[in-house]
Amino acid sequence: MFTRKRLRIISQVLFLMLFLFLFVQTESKGDDTLGYPVRLFLDFNPLIFITTALATHAREIPAAFFLSLILVLITVFLGRVFCGWICPLGTLNNLAGSLNRRRHDKIRPDLHRAKYYILFMLLASSLFTLQVAGIMDPISLLIRSLSLSIYPLANYGIRGAFDAIYNTEVSGLVAVSEWIYDVLKKSVLSFRQPYFLQAAFIGSIFFAILGLNLIEKRFWCKYLCPLGALLGLLSRYSMIRREVSEGCTSCGICSNVCQGGALSGKAEDWRNSECLACFSCDDICPQNAVSFRLGKNKAASMDLGRRQVVLSLSSGILAVPLIRSTPFTKPDYSEPTLLRPPGALEEKEFLKRCVKCGECMKVCITNGLQPTLIEAGLEGIWSPRLIPRLGYCEYRCTLCGQVCPSGAIRRLHIEEKTRVKIGLAMIDRGRCLPFAHAMPCIVCEEVCPTPRKAIWLEEVSVKNRDGKESKLKQPHVDLNLCIGCGICEAKCPVGDRPAIYVTNIGESRSAVNQLLLN
Amino acid sequence: MDRRQFLRSTAIGSLGFFFAQGFDGLTLSADAAENTDLVVARGAGKSPGAITNAAIEAFGGIRKFVSQGDIVVIKPNIGWDRLPEQAANTNPEVVAALVRLCFEAGAKKVRIFDRSVNDPRRCYKQSGISDAAGSLGAEVIYIDERRFREMSIKGQVLKSWPLYRDVFEADKVINVPIAKHHGLSKLTMAMKNWMGVMGGERGRIHQKIGESLADLGLVIKPTLTVLDAVRILTANGPQGGNLSDVKRMDTVIVGIDEVAIDSFGATLFGMKGSDLSYVKAGAAARMGIMDLEKLKIRKINI
Repeated sequence: MFTRKRLRIISQVLFLMLFLFLFVQTESKGDDTLGYPVRLFLDFNPLIFITTALATHAREIPAAFFLSLILVLITVFLGRVFCGWICPLGTLNNLAGSLNRRRHDKIRPDLHRAKYYILFMLLASSLFTLQVAGIMDPISLLIRSLSLSIYPLANYGIRGAFDAIYNTEVSGLVAVSEWIYDVLKKSVLSFRQPYFLQAAFIGSIFFAILGLNLIEKRFWCKYLCPLGALLGLLSRYSMIRREVSEGCTSCGICSNVCQGGALSGKAEDWRNSECLACFSCDDICPQNAVSFRLGKNKAASMDLGRRQVVLSLSSGILAVPLIRSTPFTKPDYSEPTLLRPPGALEEKEFLKRCVKCGECMKVCITNGLQPTLIEAGLEGIWSPRLIPRLGYCEYRCTLCGQVCPSGAIRRLHIEEKTRVKIGLAMIDRGRCLPFAHAMPCIVCEEVCPTPRKAIWLEEVSVKNRDGKESKLKQPHVDLNLCIGCGICEAKCPVGDRPAIYVTNIGESRSAVNQLLLN
Repeated sequence: MDRRQFLRSTAIGSLGFFFAQGFDGLTLSADAAENTDLVVARGAGKSPGAITNAAIEAFGGIRKFVSQGDIVVIKPNIGWDRLPEQAANTNPEVVAALVRLCFEAGAKKVRIFDRSVNDPRRCYKQSGISDAAGSLGAEVIYIDERRFREMSIKGQVLKSWPLYRDVFEADKVINVPIAKHHGLSKLTMAMKNWMGVMGGERGRIHQKIGESLADLGLVIKPTLTVLDAVRILTANGPQGGNLSDVKRMDTVIVGIDEVAIDSFGATLFGMKGSDLSYVKAGAAARMGIMDLEKLKIRKINI
């Protein structure tokens, strides 16, 4: 009787574990490849496929995105099985919902439309080149939340606990705890503690979404999720048909257990676009009156209201000039500290593709890629930016371009990567030790990774305050060779505000933001 | 016999002798090895492992330095995300040969680490060292920040500094630097390799590099130093990247006195020990002998 429920739970657990496994594998082990298809769930995601295709007017769509057509086909035939059986955020909502012990959820018969309006807004915006679907796309949202907040939080807590035991210096205890710590470090913990700007903000949004399950189970899935809405539209003509026999006493138990809110009306009034194919209604029916069969449905009306649809589409369109009328869209303006990862497309094209999933920030080997807040305008929120002081761009690493699902960051071959400029370094002579303080220091030159060093040293004679002359070397940047990787800024001994720093002038991806004649 | 006694006796014993183009090969008597300060083994076209083995053998064999049950720390340069042929890190085959020798001598554990400048995962992997040494059973470990301990140094410049605990807990310590160019100190070899066990903001020591490195010698006293000059990096060091800056020497130099080793190493680049601030500072602090004429250097060709 309960085999279908058990099967569904097994499927959910397996997919969640696969998702988490791929998430944890999104980290370098020293090679320049990861060995696993870590962005698989994004590749299969038709929402970011469609919105990327619309925003870019179908130019240069990553081939992997066509995998999402498989999910489209599954949904067209079988309905929203993705939501009920696969989606890792849906499973987490299920888990959080188990804390909600209320037997009867309040019926909100119309709220399910909200997610369709959200979807229409996102589609309309993206048709007019504004790609913000990633903010609410459940897979992007989940990877972003885990990468930038939940995983760092978990690491911080676990590391803190083991460090505390380590510092007790009770040898037997430490031996055991260090053994366990070592196992964890080799399996689930990150190589080093990740730190992200806005971690608390992004984490709070995630916890709030899980918390909505206390108001109503799967609140997010029923009312807000734009991917659920897209799959709902696709499942209108699905081949799964729910039948209620005459034994039904209209007891209403089925609508209490319905995970998708497909039965919020009368028992026989079933909305297949809301059905998550969990089969709970079939399993629980005391009269055994419910059954699911394969067969053609008569498409139920979506009942979204023409006005509301028009309104949501037009607000999606209106959002474009609203968000874009800022200096960030002026071609000759750019925030100087906005260092995009190597291989990032020209800013406009980049923003049309970036879905803010956070994969690049998760994989960044130095933890230097951080989420923007407003540095790239509102539409660029949570897109990646390199902050060299937190982590420079590793010269021979190309991982960010490998994990980007939408082609916002191109996959670069190592030869190209080592030539792409993300900005240029310049020296603050007022703070640089050999310039301002007549003290030797060559750290920037030492760490400069280009084969012919972009930082070169000039030997000069300097005098100290007693007039004593000495020779030392002062650094200079060869702008032709500098690629803006920022290791000089990261390692500069003038720790608080480095005496050498990178801004994005000269970045290869921009035709405008240039300095040199050639 | 401790290190200082050994140095003193060999220094006295080898006065007046310099640079006999000896080809003693692998059949050195124990006495000959006893009186040698440095062994310079060269084997054009030979494998780095074979050159290393021959050099150690000529210096008296590994058993003279590593005993049954020892915990041995081997400290190569694994500072950079570079490939072996780029000569920015110690040659992995030299490291592997040492690991093998240590285990042959009965070492219980061999630990290898370096506080890399680039990302440690990439450095360990791309240098070839983690694979080469790990497959032989050595523990190739990433630096654990908790294991730096503030150590009293009482030097001219460094009064104290956080240093990596494992170096001091080991029974034997083998320094395995690579010889290469450096923008400030001109060359980096044995003495400068110990920056890799310094915690904190170690970049600051560049302000007084010579004295600082000599100060480190007050507390870090390796059992043996093996200078990898299989490939040397002649420009754009210490990380290079351009193969035209790499010169193949097929040479491994073994000794105990790091000042002597670095002083000899300078000659590979057409310099003298006295051109290097830290060699001069080390000699002045009586850490070792800079004057090559006062050293007994045994050159072997294999």
